[in-house]
Amino acid sequence: MAENKAAVRDLTVKEGFQLSKFLVKWEMILVYILILINLILAIARPGLYFNIGTIQSIIQSGLDLSPMVMGMVFVLMLGDIDVSIASNMVLSGMTTGLLYQNGAPAIAAVLAGILTGAVCGAFNGILVGYVKMPAVIVTISTSMLFRGIVEIILDVNSLKNFPAFYNAIGWRNWGIFPICMVLYFLITVIFFFILHRSTFGRKLYIVGNNPITAQYSGIRVERVKLIVFILMGIMAGIGSIFFVGRMGGGLSSSMGTGYEMDTIAICVLGGVSTNGGKGKVYGPFISTFIMAFLLYTLGLIGVDANTRKIVTGIVLLIAVLIPSVNRQLIADIKLKVLYKNNKNIEALNVKTAAEVKELKAEIARLKKTGDPDRKIRKAEEKIASLQNTCKEKTAQMKAELAENARKNKERFS
Amino acid sequence: MNEQNYILELKDVVKTFGGVTALAGVQFQLKKGEIHALMGENGAGKSTFIKVITGVHQPDSGIMLLEGERITPRNTMDSAKLGIAAIYQHVTAFPDLSVTENIFMGQEIKNKLGMYDWRQMNQKAKELIEPLSKEIDVTKPMGSLSVAAQQLVEIAKALSRDARILIMDEPTASLTANECEELYTIAERLRDEGVSIILISHRFEDMYRLATRVTVFRDAQYIGCWDVDKISNQKLIGAMVGRELDQMYPEKTAKIGETVLKVENISKEGYFKNISFEVKKGEILALTGLVGAGRTEVCQTIFGIMNPDSGRIVLEGKEVNIKTPVEAFEYGIGLLPENRQTQGLINELPIYQNVSSADMKQFAKASMLDEKAEIQKAIELCQKIALKAKDISAPPSSLSGGNQQKVVFAKLLNCSLKVLILDEPTKGIDVGAKYSIYEIMNELAANGYAIIMVSSEMPEVLGMADRIVVMKSGHVTGEFDNIEVSQEMIMAASLGEHRKEARA
Amino acid sequence: MKKVFGYRNIGLVFGLIGLLVLAGIITPSMFSVNTIISMLRNNAVYVFLAVGMMVVLVTGGIDLSVGSILALSGVVCTSLMSSHMEIPNIVWVLLSLAIGIACGAFNGFVVGYLKVVPMIATLGTMYIYRGFAFLLSGGNWWFPHQISEGYQAWAGKQIVGVPSILWIAAIVFILAAWYLNYRTTGRRIYAIGTNVESAKVAGIKEARIRFLAFVICGALAGMSGMLYTANYAMCTYTIGDGYELQAIAICILGGVSITGGRGTVDGVFIGWLMMSVITQFISLLPGLSVWQKALQGAIIIAAVFLNIAMTRSSEKRFLKERGALL
Repeated sequence: MAENKAAVRDLTVKEGFQLSKFLVKWEMILVYILILINLILAIARPGLYFNIGTIQSIIQSGLDLSPMVMGMVFVLMLGDIDVSIASNMVLSGMTTGLLYQNGAPAIAAVLAGILTGAVCGAFNGILVGYVKMPAVIVTISTSMLFRGIVEIILDVNSLKNFPAFYNAIGWRNWGIFPICMVLYFLITVIFFFILHRSTFGRKLYIVGNNPITAQYSGIRVERVKLIVFILMGIMAGIGSIFFVGRMGGGLSSSMGTGYEMDTIAICVLGGVSTNGGKGKVYGPFISTFIMAFLLYTLGLIGVDANTRKIVTGIVLLIAVLIPSVNRQLIADIKLKVLYKNNKNIEALNVKTAAEVKELKAEIARLKKTGDPDRKIRKAEEKIASLQNTCKEKTAQMKAELAENARKNKERFS
Repeated sequence: MNEQNYILELKDVVKTFGGVTALAGVQFQLKKGEIHALMGENGAGKSTFIKVITGVHQPDSGIMLLEGERITPRNTMDSAKLGIAAIYQHVTAFPDLSVTENIFMGQEIKNKLGMYDWRQMNQKAKELIEPLSKEIDVTKPMGSLSVAAQQLVEIAKALSRDARILIMDEPTASLTANECEELYTIAERLRDEGVSIILISHRFEDMYRLATRVTVFRDAQYIGCWDVDKISNQKLIGAMVGRELDQMYPEKTAKIGETVLKVENISKEGYFKNISFEVKKGEILALTGLVGAGRTEVCQTIFGIMNPDSGRIVLEGKEVNIKTPVEAFEYGIGLLPENRQTQGLINELPIYQNVSSADMKQFAKASMLDEKAEIQKAIELCQKIALKAKDISAPPSSLSGGNQQKVVFAKLLNCSLKVLILDEPTKGIDVGAKYSIYEIMNELAANGYAIIMVSSEMPEVLGMADRIVVMKSGHVTGEFDNIEVSQEMIMAASLGEHRKEARA
Repeated sequence: MKKVFGYRNIGLVFGLIGLLVLAGIITPSMFSVNTIISMLRNNAVYVFLAVGMMVVLVTGGIDLSVGSILALSGVVCTSLMSSHMEIPNIVWVLLSLAIGIACGAFNGFVVGYLKVVPMIATLGTMYIYRGFAFLLSGGNWWFPHQISEGYQAWAGKQIVGVPSILWIAAIVFILAAWYLNYRTTGRRIYAIGTNVESAKVAGIKEARIRFLAFVICGALAGMSGMLYTANYAMCTYTIGDGYELQAIAICILGGVSITGGRGTVDGVFIGWLMMSVITQFISLLPGLSVWQKALQGAIIIAAVFLNIAMTRSSEKRFLKERGALL
């Protein structure tokens, strides 16, 4: 093939770093938001930044759901959703608590808890991946099922005995860093390597973007889904450690409701699309801190925990809206440019109207002067033809406009 | 003939999509109360033609006259108002809604309070349906009916809107012999009642039974219009396929070796029955026939997307059991899918990730991807197939159709394969790019791949294939060596009679 | 009977009868008129949520915010009522409807016109409405003595031995069935759900119908909030938490397809009865009340599983029919 040589030059990989592009990346915008919140905090409460303890406690208070954020990134990446994680988390926590309370060694109890989470996740994953039920319905049901199991076993009692390191994860620091933050960072690094460096992560992107192509490319879509849900379950199990630790080592059946929503909100804010296939690990990592600082700031200005839910909701909505609004805006601008043609229609009609008016005046004049009918008829015919051409042209222009609008819509939808 | 006799007349209608001409100045005349057949190969422009008449597409130029008056329908609602209705092969209706509601969608009968008058609607629907079929329960959901019954409902719907022109697109394609007969009777009755019918069908049977005249399109061109009783089968086939084989095809250099893949009597309920063929090393085997003959499904079965009910697939003398594409790849069988946008590419990911997607293991060390090696291999492959791209980290959506197809080729070449199944490899690709796809195919054959090519394009089949297998309605109806075969023979085989004996 | 209910619902009716027989054998006390009426009354609130949810599900959407709308409307009505007892009680019903319509309209706007996935959009508004409910309640509780008898009568007044909330529920069922079967917009909701593309070709405005579906769902949820507080004579901002799941569960039991297009009011009615009986049955068995949530979760999974199995078998039948052609 002779053309080969010509093509050789063309195939370069542009890995060049573009500062302007980098600065407006969604993840960078998240960093700006984080900085902005901190600036506001620094100005509003100047004392805060001289007290490392406060900042540590802000972070600690916001990171109790952090492991689940990473699991959720993967689930959303598939285009699925898991709303059973809070129930799963409580169920795994309960397993650990019951075993520990009955004298099992701490490590065994914790592992059993994480295993419980994995089993719950596998249950979801089988139903979603292999039975092909919609993830929303499956996980809504299993969220009732898992929490129901906790209610059966715990009833109105609560568990008070948990391994000692739980408390440390929730409340202690390691040097100047809260322990939970160090752990969250490690988890994020692991997930970063899975998603952005491993073959499995690549499969996730492929399945999330186009499950049919994935199947044709020899990827076991069902198995990928199962693994992701199991991972999610494991993260819910690990999440129970963070959560129970933060709760001061106590657990009852009604705890942690709404955590699934918080988790999803953080992921969406972090740039993970709920349609699947889009997102990075570090976006949600940053947005976890944004939520922590945001909620704390609101607390400072006297907004209580329940009202902060409004903020979570609004943040979630805005985060989903940003990409679609952008697209619509562009489409609107394009349409407005095209709308210019409408002026032509207007001009055409105005011009025709003027001409017709003139001709009519002419007819009136001819009638008055008593000129032959032939001339009047001719003028009348001219009016008719003018009006017809105008009509036709208008229709044609309108059709073109509509066609353009349709094409644009297609392009931007 | 007096022009006033035509109820519908189209003159010099041109329609292009992007650079592709779908209709190049076609003519068409429909007399009042006649059944007029419209024939042509796949892609001859028939469906675009219907869409122009029904207002789905607007022609770029040319005029359309309805009873001598110029019309310009802008959508299907416009054309419905003019009395034009189309009944498609794949009915696009509301499967969950009742037959009555489907018939009256958009023009429901309401009482004085603005409430639906179901009783009257059901009554009327019954009246409309009964002459067509006595068995359809109008209160049942549309989706629970057979395809034949759904078509009848669509006819009833058209009649309820006082359609004067009825377009039937492949109405008999999925009907049994009895159902066909019923449909013929109905069509004849409608004709006698003054409805004009445009019948699009690949079945000569339909045409001879119903139509009085036939118009043939080929490659977006109007070829001619004849009285049915004055044109022979041969002549008609000649008109449909009789193009000059002027397009150049690259010289084939591959040596044909031993049999690599052998398919023995595979069947899949609802798709195909007792299909057998074999393909040798270095050989290009064309699997042709009309769209819907089951070619794609056979390929998908070999590739493991579907699983056969019976039959054997033998690879290099050993029977293989392929349940999923994963196993197909492991055995060395790759498929270039029919629809590259939805099945072949991931438009959101860079080209090199598309290329590596079917076999990432070779770049993996302890499950971690070596992206440098991945890009290196992708560049190599893309150069090999002369991909014209500025940047392989750009998404494939930035490429032209032909180059997108090359990306899918590169994806298959990235795996170590023995058999390549190419499902319509040049579909929607412009002429220049087609040639380079052919070059790639020839080079692959020369490198020892066994290639199965599904194609609807006759010249391509004749220009590229060593052997040709023709399918019709899920059966093999002909197998030819390329030396001995003509376009007419292939067309005759793909139009061939149903093999109904299998059903008895 | 086939005409009235359709095949699927016959199965449901038999399931219901079986359940009743089982319940009757194990807990005979269930079959007194009083128990049945109190059972239905306790579950009456779900009628409004489930019917509204069904409308949204039929369009192919989902509304997770109904529980929060219930709380918001309950809190607003109760708080205003307890400080303004002189206002006629009809006002509260209208106010609750207005609140519901406003919330539903916002959902509908975000889903229909801004094209956000319903799941995520209503997830967000679920937070927002619940937050407002808290803000307006100030974290307060209202108890029976703060709630006027006239207000309570909307739910509790006995008419022919049946509490008024059940009468209202019955009216909602009938109105919904009428609207969805006899009104143009009602039918359009089904058309959108069964095939959006065909619906657009037929000239149906997709966004407007989606908007409307959420408004209906919101209005019913709003009304349920007022009736909830009247029924139980108590109110706080946490009421109705998790009710959206219950409503979805009832719909799924009642054969509403979550992918849109299918679902009938009578199906929802049967689904509601089943869910009520199950709940009541469990609560009557000693020591089993804690099983309620787990069982409900399991039942929904089973119901969806059954639905999928039925669809697959009908697809197989279809292929067989086609196979006969070859």
